[in-house]
Amino acid sequence: MAKVLKGQQPSNAHDEKEPELKGTFISVMAIGVFIIVAWIGAFSLFLSR
Amino acid sequence: MHLHRYEKIWLTFGIGSLLVFLIVLGVGAFYQGTQPPSCLVTLDPENVQAHESFKDENLGVQQIGENEYVVNILASAFNYNFGKDEAGVPVRKIRIPKGANVIFQATTTDVVHGFQIAGTNVNMMLEPGYISDYETTLNNVGEFTIVCNEYCGVGHHMMTAVLEVYEP
Repeated sequence: MAKVLKGQQPSNAHDEKEPELKGTFISVMAIGVFIIVAWIGAFSLFLSR
Repeated sequence: MHLHRYEKIWLTFGIGSLLVFLIVLGVGAFYQGTQPPSCLVTLDPENVQAHESFKDENLGVQQIGENEYVVNILASAFNYNFGKDEAGVPVRKIRIPKGANVIFQATTTDVVHGFQIAGTNVNMMLEPGYISDYETTLNNVGEFTIVCNEYCGVGHHMMTAVLEVYEP
């Protein structure tokens, strides 16, 4: 719980520091891009043969 | 519910790609009619000759139209039977003109065999009692090795044949 200071609205609980998810985001997107590139590679091999 | 901005991005990306792949699968299956090579066409594996396609005289390359061919293949340990040529010698090499529409129909008289034409999309499993077929157009000229890719016994590695695609 964020400290509710005098004069602040209690709804400011969202101002609590958000977790740092940059590394997670990069990892998730890297796996996604890998899956899509691998799929496109296999599909173009299928089309070219 | 509060979601982190990054979470929103990767959830959209994940669910979006799931939908895209499902649509591709659906179009392939229901619109283009893509099926597995062995699609429940059955015959008696102990009497394959009873089936018109696998009578001795019908094995090998058969021309059925102007630019359409059927290739009937009977696989058994450790051989692909494409019938015999005029001299009575078993055919080891089949020839198909480039760009022709070809249906490969195959079955096996004993165990499970593979039928792969290396370097093409033709790749099927042959199961006793089922007819596997694959329709394709061969657009690349050259010699392709036909191999068994399902281990079928001690002679498995020698179970090969050759397909030649020639310029018509």
